Parts: sequence; structure tokens; C-alpha cells
Amino acid sequence: MGDLSIIILFVFVLFLLLGSGVWVGLALMGVAWVGMVLFTTRPVGDVMLTTIWSASSSWTLTALPLFIWMGEILYRTRLSEDMFKGLAPWLAGLPGGLVHTNIVGCTVFAAVSGSSAATLTTVGKMSIPELRKRDYPEPVIIGTLAGAATLGLMIPPSLTLIVYGVTINESISKLFFAGILPGLLLALMFMAFVAAMSKFSKKWNPKTEPAMTFMQRVANSRFLIPVIILIMVVIGSMYLGLATATEAAAIGVIGSLLLAASQGSLSWSTFIESLMGATRTSAMIALILAGAAFLSLSMGFTGLPSGLADLIAGMELSKFELLMALLVFYIVLGMFLDGISSVVLTMAVVEPMIRQAGIDLIWFGIFIVVVVEMAQITPPIGFNLFVLQGMTDHEMGFIARAAFPMFLIMVVMVFVLIAFPEIATWLPENIRKAPGATGG
Amino acid sequence: MLHAIRRGLDGLYWVSGVIAALCLVAILFLIVVQMAARWTGEVFPGAPDYAGYAMAAASFLAFASALNRGAHIRVSVVLNAVNSKTRRWINIWCFGIGATIAWYFVFFARKFVFWSWKFGDISQGQDKTPLWIPQSLMLIGAVILAIALTDHLVSLIFKGDHRIKREIVDEHSG
Repeated sequence: MGDLSIIILFVFVLFLLLGSGVWVGLALMGVAWVGMVLFTTRPVGDVMLTTIWSASSSWTLTALPLFIWMGEILYRTRLSEDMFKGLAPWLAGLPGGLVHTNIVGCTVFAAVSGSSAATLTTVGKMSIPELRKRDYPEPVIIGTLAGAATLGLMIPPSLTLIVYGVTINESISKLFFAGILPGLLLALMFMAFVAAMSKFSKKWNPKTEPAMTFMQRVANSRFLIPVIILIMVVIGSMYLGLATATEAAAIGVIGSLLLAASQGSLSWSTFIESLMGATRTSAMIALILAGAAFLSLSMGFTGLPSGLADLIAGMELSKFELLMALLVFYIVLGMFLDGISSVVLTMAVVEPMIRQAGIDLIWFGIFIVVVVEMAQITPPIGFNLFVLQGMTDHEMGFIARAAFPMFLIMVVMVFVLIAFPEIATWLPENIRKAPGATGG
Repeated sequence: MLHAIRRGLDGLYWVSGVIAALCLVAILFLIVVQMAARWTGEVFPGAPDYAGYAMAAASFLAFASALNRGAHIRVSVVLNAVNSKTRRWINIWCFGIGATIAWYFVFFARKFVFWSWKFGDISQGQDKTPLWIPQSLMLIGAVILAIALTDHLVSLIFKGDHRIKREIVDEHSG
């Protein structure tokens, strides 16, 4: 490791630029520039261009805009109405009743969208007013929605996992499959919590639903069937090795365009809105990734990552202790940074540590996603809290308190993952090899 | 005069956003064609490389329009905590730093593209594309981003506020 005072200067610049509100991608470039100037004699500008060009024109990255686009198209269909209507008759009989529509709805939409804010708005738009009408306790409505929407980050397609995969050069398909079982397990844990609440809470006396016959239920959910088929096709094509993640995303875009067209909700203006929305969101992530690519090169020259890895190795922490330290670190970081930024910002430093400790990188991707999910519902910067605030007019404190049980459930999930790593690693080890050696 | 510049700049951001969107459509098209080719036993050499170039172009050309819609992520804890006068100064600092970094990038990107063209650098992949062509789209996008940042900086200094309009639902940040 280089001179300590220079390292401190470098870290100070990082905090200064990020903290004062310079856009994350540009801030990372600035910090990387400072690192290069302090630690190398190389021509900084030229190195920057070579690095950013190769990071930005990568084929693996193309999965990102396509999956975003797919979510944007479906977000603009009548999916959110169909979701509630279609799920409610099936879930009304469970203990906890219609609150489960929040969780199952989020799980389903998470499977077509990689973002938790989109998942939250799509499901909440319909379920919040409907659940209120039926007198379900407000904190439970808000809390489950905030928590379950984070599944958008875990259940494939997941933008965070794509970014993680691109950053550490791991197969995105494998990461996607690693996310499926933990995502479903987390959803089940949320549902178990709701069921328990309905038994023990004194404020729980919602209006009962009218009974429906089996055929009526099917009739109500017929609009959901095409979406389920689309999910099966997208995920199945990756699982069977017929398509890479990027190709599955392309199938998803075309499938959702067909689906929207068949519902009559595809007009020229919604098509353009979805396309422009996807272009902007993917540009936002691309800027962060460009900055991160340059920063991780620069970090290598500072010696900070290997120095820290040696330091950690010297402390002879057990795997568990290391993971606990990282858990606390990411929760704190997540209070100020969004998920994608915290992943790209830290991977250059954390990756050598993880490799040295012998931790599986696919498994760690899922670990980091759960932790980043928690950050979405913790104040002061929890993106889901902001979105919910906009949708419900509750105070931030109320929403954060309502979501707190979900936060605890996610903490439990982290320990379950550590105790049974196979939940994440079993499925990706059993997928068929994707075509070509493009690593997608 | 000022009016004409304003209209010209807004038009520039709009056009670059539209070209970026077209690049995204091109990515979709390339990937679908490649998939169709593989399933029918044909090969479409260089498709992944073309898709990569389109990706870079789509990203860089959309940077400015994403900035104008407030889509780029920044840490806003401090900005939200201070009064509006301090916020203006911090914003001037942010746009100033942002514009400096962007123009620095542009300076070296110009050099980068120039040498690619001068030496006739050709892609290592099967596409054999002269690299200066896709690289100049990156350069153009970077120039437009730098202009946009400078534009906001100028209006912050002279008019007191930047012109970023933000939509909550628009920001599916993940």
C-alpha cells in the first residue's frame, strides 16, 4: 500500500465529490482521475478513454437496456389492474387475505422488471386503494409493499445483478438463476409474516371477500396468463441454454410488445414513452458503469484493494465475521447511496477480499443484492420510501416504521443464505450451457 | 439571439435523445437477427460487436437528455438539508465539476478518435469495423453532455436555477 496520507487524500476526494452531490458516474471519474495522478505516471486521459470505451461498448451490457425496456412496456399496460383482479380470488382464502396480493403481485412483476421502483408503482397503484377499501391495517399495506417491491432487485431480470455481473465478469444467466430460489424464499417469508400478523394483531378485521367458484376465479385471472407465459419463455429460454441473457431480454421485449398490442394498450405514444424511458434509465446506469470502470482501474494502481485484502487476511477473520463486517458496511453505505452505485463503487475493493476468503462470487452476488434491498427501505435514502411517500402522502417516518419488520425479515434472510448457501448456488450449477462463449 | 440559442440547444438534446433511442432499437434488431440466424443454422458475423457499438452510442447520446430529466443519480442528503441559497452554491460546484470532467473527457476522446482514424484501427472481432466510426458517436455524445452541463451551469449562475425537471416515476433506478 502506498503512502498513507495520499490514500487519505484519495478517500477524502471520493467523499467530497459524492457527498456534495456530483452525479455518481462523473464523481467516480473525477476520483479515478485523482487516483491516477497521485499513484501513477501514466497518461491519465488516454488510459481513461481506452478503459471507458471498452467498458461502454461491451456486448454483455446490452442485456441492460433491453430488460429495462421490457419492464417499461409492461409498466404501461393494464397489468397493474389485472394483477390485483387476477390474484385476489386465489389469495383471499389464505390467512392474511388480500395483503398477499402485494407480495405475490410484486413477485410476478419482479419477474418481468429489474427495478424495485417500477415494481412498487405497478403493484401499489391498484392494491393500495383496494386494500384500504377493505379496511386492512394501513401499516401492513404499506410495509409489505415496500418490502416485497425489493424483490424486483433479486428475481430475474435484475438490473443490480446485471451490473454486478458486468463489474466482476461473471455470467449473468448464472446470477439470474442464483436469484430465483432466494427471491421466492424471501417472498414466502414475507407471506408467513403477514399470516402471523393476521392471527395476532388486534387491529386486523378486514371485510371478507364474496365466495367465488373455481371457474369465476379462472375468468378473473385470464389476463394474467399471458404474462405468466412470457415469464416462462424468458426464463425458460435461458435455463434450457437456448438463449443468452441478452437474447432472452430481446425475446422479452418482443413478447411484451405483442402482449401490450393484444390488450390494446400499445399506442404510438406509449411505445415512444417506454422507449425513451428505457433509453434514459439505461444511460443513467451506463454513466455510473463508465465511471466505475475507470475507478476500478485507478483503484488497482492505488494498491488499496490488495492492501485491504491483505489486511483482512492478516486479521484472520472467519468467513462469517467477514460477511458480518460487510453486512454492516453495506447497510451504512446504503443509507446514502443507491444499490447500483454501492455495488460498482465497492466491488474493486471488495472483490479481492472475497476471492481471498474463498467465497463463491455468484453466491456473494445474491448476498449483496439482499443487503442492497434492505437499503431501499431504510431512511434517509431509501428509494422505495420516496416512491411510497409520493403515492400515499404518509410521512417518511410512518413508512419507514411500517417497513421495519420487512427489514428484519431480510436480515433473517441473510443468515439463512449464510447457513444454506445452496439456496443460491444449486440452480445456477444445474443450468444448461448457454450457446456461444460470449459469457452473456 | 438568446432565444435562438435556447431553441437550438433544446433541439440538440432532443435529437441526440432520439438517436440514442434508435440505437436501442438497433440493439434489439441486431440481437433478434443474430438469434434467428443461429436457429436457422446461419451465422451473422460481428453481431455482438455491432450491438456493443450501438450500446455505447445509445448510452453516450442519451447522457444529456437523461441529465435534463434528472435521471442521473446523485447523493442528495446534503442538498436537501441546506437552505436554498447554500443549495445554489453547492449546485454551482456540482455543475462546475461535472462540466470540467465532461470537457476533460471530450478533449481526450477527440484525441482518442483522431488516433483511431489516423492509424486505421480496426476491430479485433469478426466485424472488422474501422473503430473511429463507432467511437465518434461516443465523442459526439460526450460533447453534448458537456454542453448540457455548461448550459445548466450558466443558467444557475445568471438565472439562479438550473433547468432540470424531475419526474419521480420516470426514475426506475432499481
